[in-house]
Amino acid sequence: MSDAPGSGSNPLLDGLRIEPTPDPTTLVIFGASGDLTRRKLLPALYQLSRGQRLPARFSVIGVARSEMNDDEFRRQFHDSLKEFAGVEKADEVSGTLVRGLSYLFGEMDDPALYARLARTLQESHAPDGVLFYLAIPPTVYGKVVEQLGAAGLTRPSTPTGWRRVIVEKPFGTDLDSARALNAVLHQHLEESQIFRIDHYLGKETVQNLLVFRFANGMFEPVWNRRYIDHVQITAAETVGVERRAAYYEQAGALRDMVQNHLMQLLSLIAMEPPITFSAENVRDRKLDALLSIQPLLEDGAKTNVIRAQYSPGWVNGSEVPGYREEQGVSATSVTETYVALRAQLDSWRWAGVPFYIRTGKRLAKRTTEIAIQFRRPPLHIFKRVSPTPIASNLLVVNVQPDEGISVRFEAKLPGSRMQLAPVMMNFRYGSAFGSAVPEAYETLLLDAMLGDPTLFARHDFVEASWALITPVHEAWRTSGPAAIPMYEAGEWSPREADAMMAADGRRWRTL
Amino acid sequence: MSTQLPHQLLPGAKEVPFAEIEGTLSRLVQDGRRRSRAPARSLTATVVVVGEPARLVSAADALAQLGEAGGVRTILISQGDQPSPTALVTEHSIAIAGLAPRYIDNAVASLRLSSLPALVWWRGGSIEALDDVAGLADRLVLDTESPDETWARAQTFLEETAVTDLRWARLTRWRALLAHLFDLPRVREAVASFNRLSIDAADVPAARLFAGWLQTSLRWPSSNQISIRRVSADGKSPLERVQLEGDRLTITLHVPSTRTCLHASVGGEDGMARVVPLGDGALTALIGEELGIRTRDLAFERALGAARELSVS
Repeated sequence: MSDAPGSGSNPLLDGLRIEPTPDPTTLVIFGASGDLTRRKLLPALYQLSRGQRLPARFSVIGVARSEMNDDEFRRQFHDSLKEFAGVEKADEVSGTLVRGLSYLFGEMDDPALYARLARTLQESHAPDGVLFYLAIPPTVYGKVVEQLGAAGLTRPSTPTGWRRVIVEKPFGTDLDSARALNAVLHQHLEESQIFRIDHYLGKETVQNLLVFRFANGMFEPVWNRRYIDHVQITAAETVGVERRAAYYEQAGALRDMVQNHLMQLLSLIAMEPPITFSAENVRDRKLDALLSIQPLLEDGAKTNVIRAQYSPGWVNGSEVPGYREEQGVSATSVTETYVALRAQLDSWRWAGVPFYIRTGKRLAKRTTEIAIQFRRPPLHIFKRVSPTPIASNLLVVNVQPDEGISVRFEAKLPGSRMQLAPVMMNFRYGSAFGSAVPEAYETLLLDAMLGDPTLFARHDFVEASWALITPVHEAWRTSGPAAIPMYEAGEWSPREADAMMAADGRRWRTL
Repeated sequence: MSTQLPHQLLPGAKEVPFAEIEGTLSRLVQDGRRRSRAPARSLTATVVVVGEPARLVSAADALAQLGEAGGVRTILISQGDQPSPTALVTEHSIAIAGLAPRYIDNAVASLRLSSLPALVWWRGGSIEALDDVAGLADRLVLDTESPDETWARAQTFLEETAVTDLRWARLTRWRALLAHLFDLPRVREAVASFNRLSIDAADVPAARLFAGWLQTSLRWPSSNQISIRRVSADGKSPLERVQLEGDRLTITLHVPSTRTCLHASVGGEDGMARVVPLGDGALTALIGEELGIRTRDLAFERALGAARELSVS
């Protein structure tokens, strides 16, 4: 037949309900024996394979310092599935994946390791689409990328091949280190090859923010200073530092949460509509929003950033130690476990609308949400019959744990009197759609394999975020231990954070 | 044909006259809220099932499970000769027995959730009523044991209503696996040479759809050989074995004895073998998948046209 499909495109993909599948891929995980690989990456690969989201030719090369052979790595894979994915025993899906697993060990700065990796890629006839995942300490990101570049592994060997690198957070510790790391990466990689992961962006509700704002005609017209009074973004945890004291002592809440996750949420709320839903358009508009934030320390009359540290207290009915009593934490530590800040955006849309951010450990409840509080009606016409002040309309985006969107509005209480009361209208992913929400790492791994960077941070966003945060760290660095306020574990906030809101005539939301 | 609906169709349901369905639904929702003090759940769609009482039971089970996970209003209708029969009503479900075909569209129009999508799950009945309810459906899912008559009728309203057959959803894994293999360079190079297809199937209409899909996707001439053989199986999969042959390459897909996965091989080479899970073929999963789709499925429509022309040897 003359018009039979040729070898150029896959004629069977048309109308297939399965989502796009990546090109043949080899995933090289640096840090393959580590916690992130076991807890998140290997279970995510299993779930992707179950859902037929991985390409027909897919293999994994684990790389780490720990001595291990292929079989031991495969056993680790099964153990990981058992512990973190609830897969009690090997099945057909894990069996298929296991056949494509291999392992290399060595020092991350040893050129011989990369020569062996290149040889393995070549000899195994692995696909020429290679995704390097840096699940390693941030201090060695640069070294690994330099070695990959020196070994010629950052360039594909065929015209249809590709090379991409996923970099975990934290991306730098301040503006200078982030710039330096970007410079190293850009010596060996194009920006389009770099995928800076922020797992918050893989969450379904966070992605839904774009849909909520830009696929609904009723919200965008009121999404501005004329109708919105202020925005509160909260990321509260009940846990302490757990086993991460060594990292957390250096990082603190500002670096750990605000610089990445919460700035991403803020930018999604504040961004202008992109022209199209393309990665570059979306990321351009997010960057604009971030760049419009006024420097956090230049509002002389007001305190824009509050830090605090938890002292002993009670959380969820259990007595917990203070931060300075946690294992691995210095008894004189001034690391902040709580941050509250006020961000003012210099833009036509948001001038005069403060964005309040708070995040902390050992707070009363685990929750992450964005609350958009609208202005009150200009006139309370029911004042004479219902003297209670009208509650502002509120739109709450629950990011976790109970993903959904709620709207608060005033309603008349049933009865002959005109009495008003606020009511909530709730949409919950769990009850509305029911289907299992994919783990953030599944979404992000797949996007990286597909080459879609929409949900990853671009170099300029990361640097702009550090540019906001770094002066705050500098100011804190010069102050002594006595300067950090304390809050009791299990409380919602230190007095200073409440005072910051009170100075604006506002209050933190009760959660 | 029995027009009585068994009470186990909707356990705990209230039996009410047709005219009181809407009022009863409202009361039940309010009572439920008072009892549980839980916030009202978001309803996202109406699912209307039309079929004989016996076929409504399995649908009701599936939708009950779906309702536990997600928010849908379900309307179960068996056909009879009554214009206004009694109904069984629970908080989110209605079952109407013996409704005259000409009134089915009226019943659906009055009971569906306004402004939200409606999916009609057609499990059999008067073909005239199919025309009427198709006009009210955002998506029509055909699911009859002998589909030729409904397929023929469905082809007349493809332009107005998004139509599919539940068999098509059951074939998704088979189609996806074969499509995956077509990403392999060796298979891609051999695309034009494939000219023979043989299928062993427990569900012959499903095999016809699969063959129709392949025939239209690969733009096969009618001279290419398609053979479909009926085999008995455990019902876990509509197909048992598919073999696509050409002068250069043979691709085989089959359900191995474990009955939990699909196995594919290309030219008998181990290196190109692929195993994927058979997938959840339960009615709940299939209809849940259909609820997530709103648009026309042109690949299905082309496959349907070709399947109707296929004769089974």
